[in-house]
Amino acid sequence: MMFSNKQTKPTFKSYLPPLQTDSNKSPQLPIKKLEAKLLPGEIVVNEANFVKKCISTESCQDDLWGKLVCTNFKVSFITHNSLPRQKFQCTHRLLGEHDIPLACVEQVVTVNDIKGKQKILGSNQKLKFNPTELILYCKDFRIIRFRFDEAGPESAKKVCLAIAHYSHPADPQLLFGFEYVGKRYHGSTGETVNGVDPGGGLQTPLFDCSSDWDREIKRTGASEWRVCTINQGYFISPSLPEFFVVPVSLADQDLKQYACCFYSQRIPLWCWNHSSGSALVRMSNISDPLQQRKVEQRISSAIIKSHPLRSDVFKSDLDKNLPNIQDIQAALLKLRQICVIEPFEESEEKWLSSLESSRWMEYVRTFLRHAVDVVYMLESRHVSVILLEKEDRDLSCVISCLVQLMCDPHCRSLHGFQGLIQKEWVMAGHRFLDRCNHLKKSDKEESPLFLLFLDCVWQLWNQYPAAFEFTEVYLTVLGDSMWVPVFSTFLFNCPRQRAEHSRDFASSKSIHLGQDQALRFPPVWDWSQQFSLKDQTLFNNPLYVGKIATCVQNGTVKTFTHRRSKKNYSSTLRGVPSALRNGSLGPNDTLTRRNSLILRLRSDLSQVREQQETPSERFIRDWFSRPVDLQGLLLPQLLPSHLSVWKLYFLRWVPEAQIPQGGPITAFHKLSVLTDEIEMLQNQLRQYKGAGCTPNNQHMEHSKMYFKVTLTPHQSPAPPEYLSSSFPFSPVGNLCRPGITGTPLSKFLSGAKIWLSTETLANETI
Amino acid sequence: MASAPIAPYNSSPLGNSSSQNASRESLKMEPLADVAVLPGEERVIDKDIIYICPFNAAVKGKVSITNYRLYFKNTDSETPVTLNVPLGVISRVEKMGGATSRGENSYGLEITCKDMRNLRFALKQEGHSRRDIFEILFKYAFPLSHGMQLFAFLSQEKYEENGWNVYEPMEEYRRQGLPNSEWRVTFINKNYELCDTYPTILVVPYKATEEDLRRVSTFRSRCRIPVLSWFHKENHAVIMRCSQPLVGMSGKRNKDDERYLDLIREANGTIKLTIYDARPNVNAVANKATGGGYEGDDAYQNAELVFLDIHNIHVMRESLKKLKDIVYPNVEESHWLSSLESTHWLEHIKLVLSGAIQVADKVSSGSSVVVHCSDGWDRTAQLTSLAMLMLDSYYRTLRGFQVLLEKEWISFGHKFASRIGHGDKNHADQDRSPIFLQFIDCVWQMTKQFPTAFEFNERLLVVILDHLYSCRFGTFLYNCESARESNNVRMKTVSLWSLINSDTSLYINPFYTPESSRVLYPVASMRHLELWVTYYIRWNPRIQHQQQSPVEQRYKELLALRDQYLKKLEELQLSDSAPSSTHLTNSSTPNAATANQHITHLQTPF
Repeated sequence: MMFSNKQTKPTFKSYLPPLQTDSNKSPQLPIKKLEAKLLPGEIVVNEANFVKKCISTESCQDDLWGKLVCTNFKVSFITHNSLPRQKFQCTHRLLGEHDIPLACVEQVVTVNDIKGKQKILGSNQKLKFNPTELILYCKDFRIIRFRFDEAGPESAKKVCLAIAHYSHPADPQLLFGFEYVGKRYHGSTGETVNGVDPGGGLQTPLFDCSSDWDREIKRTGASEWRVCTINQGYFISPSLPEFFVVPVSLADQDLKQYACCFYSQRIPLWCWNHSSGSALVRMSNISDPLQQRKVEQRISSAIIKSHPLRSDVFKSDLDKNLPNIQDIQAALLKLRQICVIEPFEESEEKWLSSLESSRWMEYVRTFLRHAVDVVYMLESRHVSVILLEKEDRDLSCVISCLVQLMCDPHCRSLHGFQGLIQKEWVMAGHRFLDRCNHLKKSDKEESPLFLLFLDCVWQLWNQYPAAFEFTEVYLTVLGDSMWVPVFSTFLFNCPRQRAEHSRDFASSKSIHLGQDQALRFPPVWDWSQQFSLKDQTLFNNPLYVGKIATCVQNGTVKTFTHRRSKKNYSSTLRGVPSALRNGSLGPNDTLTRRNSLILRLRSDLSQVREQQETPSERFIRDWFSRPVDLQGLLLPQLLPSHLSVWKLYFLRWVPEAQIPQGGPITAFHKLSVLTDEIEMLQNQLRQYKGAGCTPNNQHMEHSKMYFKVTLTPHQSPAPPEYLSSSFPFSPVGNLCRPGITGTPLSKFLSGAKIWLSTETLANETI
Repeated sequence: MASAPIAPYNSSPLGNSSSQNASRESLKMEPLADVAVLPGEERVIDKDIIYICPFNAAVKGKVSITNYRLYFKNTDSETPVTLNVPLGVISRVEKMGGATSRGENSYGLEITCKDMRNLRFALKQEGHSRRDIFEILFKYAFPLSHGMQLFAFLSQEKYEENGWNVYEPMEEYRRQGLPNSEWRVTFINKNYELCDTYPTILVVPYKATEEDLRRVSTFRSRCRIPVLSWFHKENHAVIMRCSQPLVGMSGKRNKDDERYLDLIREANGTIKLTIYDARPNVNAVANKATGGGYEGDDAYQNAELVFLDIHNIHVMRESLKKLKDIVYPNVEESHWLSSLESTHWLEHIKLVLSGAIQVADKVSSGSSVVVHCSDGWDRTAQLTSLAMLMLDSYYRTLRGFQVLLEKEWISFGHKFASRIGHGDKNHADQDRSPIFLQFIDCVWQMTKQFPTAFEFNERLLVVILDHLYSCRFGTFLYNCESARESNNVRMKTVSLWSLINSDTSLYINPFYTPESSRVLYPVASMRHLELWVTYYIRWNPRIQHQQQSPVEQRYKELLALRDQYLKKLEELQLSDSAPSSTHLTNSSTPNAATANQHITHLQTPF
């Protein structure tokens, strides 16, 4: 007990300004005006008045009074009180300040604190007590608490049951996106649906047509690959897209023949070509063992033929080397447990080991490492790589994306990144519907693969922030968008499913799809669906060198690529020993001389790294000894000491973890302002060059930066007071844990039960 | 229209700075053969040797030892391998293997360093080849154990700035608004008669007489009476520092001490004076056995005592040792987080920081506080200086931070000589402890949480730590001001601040945004505390060593670009004197690298 944590927590209350409390705290509010804001196709299912939303952990003083509404899209809380200390909020176009999409609700817990009862509600369940309290556990790590002290017991019960029921849709077509998009077909004459023209107007290729693939082939110089159309109408494979890319040497006839050997008839898919001509291909298992060798050989030789150097093919078995989807799900649940469920102060002492035992960071590292191994094959061995996974719909998505992000700077631009996700996740048939568990049907299928991928991207971003066009806010918001069930991106298991459900839904609602294959669900990439243009500027990374640098490079400023000084490498051998440079890179060649030295040193020389450096380790070391080219290959630092927790995503809702007026955002703010000023100066200079002295205010509208230069440039403004490490999110009103008549909520909802097993807990009580 | 090369980026000093091991001072050195030496540095021995690099293999080369450093350069390959280690960094030199040891490279030297690394060298076995180099290293690495002088006294370095002028106590107290009607300056210690480990100038309650001070000093360990560290200009609350009261087993009381603390409390009308005892409660109790203790409730009725649970120097030393084990030479990979946890290093950082937060919080709410530990020179210095850093933005400037270190650490007698063991061969000395390193780590944590609040950057912190050990400057030598005075440190050595202040651009944080009145409260939580990898894991060649964070570097580039554009606009405006946009003629900001190139052709990338 050397480190008792008593007294370590200062009285934060005293220096955080007390939450401003409205004097108007009585439930006597003009209730009539409290109406939920509804979207097209959205209907109110149930509602309760005089509900209190808990805001502060410490007291109920700041709780908000209002109406709790359940619609077919969201849980909405409507209040006239405004949230204290909430000077900033990214306003969401589909969701109000207190709204939670039903798809984001993970668990609905009702509590009666007088009787000491609680129940986790599922669909179509009964509730034998009148709830005094409703707690919503959300997929995005939020925990929202409502109290019904003044609400009618029956209406409270009803609204709880409604929320539970509607957050467990029985059928995909009950997901709100269908009503939302379908509504717009009635009476809509133009080309746009809910303001979107899917595909058109977007710079992000969706890869749902052969021209997108053609462009990708051209862009990567994959001249020996072609677009294959045999799956049009999904006649060959149910989970493949209609268009994909195959070696030119494979005829459609051959492909049709091979298709039946593969799991779900998934013909191997081309992902990307390295500039050396090596291809990245993803492939499912061959289900027919008799055919296995033959088919594998045919595929391999076709890939070899497509390589300009006829280089070999390397198979990377993902199932063998990576955690499976259940492992990943279990890791996220544990991570969630330690981030938001366990009491903050008590979990401090064991934070690091708990983090380790969640294994989340370990998995992030494993995926990154595996991607680096693949990159080594493409980059250094110049061979093509086949990513092998049983169904080719989960792990492959992560690895193929990471490989491309590391190798191809195009993928680090905003549209390049979005296209990448479209290509490797949406079109390749990642089961978003099942993995998100939108229907809450099967917990076994649920797995946060996409979030894990975003975390891996964040690690790269965190190590090379100037190499990406987007920000971590973008990555976070992208992750959150999974729980807004209106986007084509995250609603379906594969393109065919989208088409089928669309057709069914359309016919049941007498919607004429016309030439469309599917309902025009907006892709998430149409960010205007969710955010204003101004708010979208939060996605733009002021550090990004991509565009700026290349432009400046051919002119005056040449030094924008980050060049590290030539170093005098001490205590390390720089580069690859010459003996190895020209030699083969087989795993067995090690320096015999060195080997003998080390082995004969006396035992306490164990500090000396004894293991033989593998060629890929050498490749990595060599890369790290050179200056980083942000427009070239990027390798992540993989030492566990150099990977961090993605705090913005995982800790943004935790009030105790918030750094008021601090965090990386404060530096970002300054960068944003400076970049904005540079843009402004450039505009002014351009006007001079264009000889026109038209004073223009275009700047303000066109600026890409969220934080703009003030009228008095050069005086660095203090960071705005609303900035915090959680920005642009706010933990106010989240995780209000303690409080029910002396029993801290955390105590009686504690442990692994929450979010782990609905049934056990439900059986235990009631 | 070709343009002039744009120098600001290339010519920035960061561009040509030396690598990880080659010490930064090499910039200033004149080359002599392959070793660049400092003025006053003399070569003692050159020898062929094999450096057993823990990351690669044995490297053949030549080692040179001067009175300041060990310098190694390889001779066996084109790829340079160099080591440049100030001898002050060495804590231990051992012989490895014997003349009859079998095996290649089993005979040689092992050097343990104070800065998180070890070095091994192998020599030929025949002819006692290591004897001379071992003896020379032993002598020059530990000059004080051999009746010799530290290199700081031999250095002939000259700088434009005189760092010894950075801290003038009276000036600093005046800056704080002292003396005033509540607090007075006393010269009672001008000959170090009241307390030999305190500075000469002290600030005490106006109402306390010199006689009071003398009587109080009898009741405080090492006579370190409560004196003022910082004064809150608005609410007049103060931070006082001192050592533990000499309560002892019998629970002695001292009326003068009690009245003195009450004078402190009364000065701004604090209702209850808070006494922060940095130690864990049990340690404070245990100290009674050796005559120490803490302020009891009954004796000090207008005070409340809070224990901050910070452990002693021995615990911290062991913790750092464990940390070294998991980061050098290789980073523990399989159980990194739990290994890190088991070193408790971050947990100690957390306790120190949260203690300081409590102090700062109390003071900014208007209550005066007294901070002590046992002797008031380790944990107390950490707490007062960190609290002052949180409360007073002046200390977050480059100059102010130097003042803070000079004041709270150097002048108030943090025992640098004992804690670091400058020039002393006794590597196992129980007095050694990384208290100052821990403080710098806490500062680093704060800079991470508030990237715009500090004028200085991470590099300053690393350079300070490097020269904490190097013995090249007089700044961190000796245990207290009286010892420094009697050894004429100010006259005979150069201050580290001379080096720093002669080229401040290296240490400026481009994101710095002055905010005078803001109190910084870092979040002292394991969720936010991070291991300072760029310091603790910097010797690992597998880690990219960026002189600067990429974000910082990019920001500086953008600042330079902005200035180029401004300059260009200015020129255009001058040439056609268009009145339309005169507001843009402001000159560039001082913290931007000056762009003195004329741009004749501009791209318009957007």
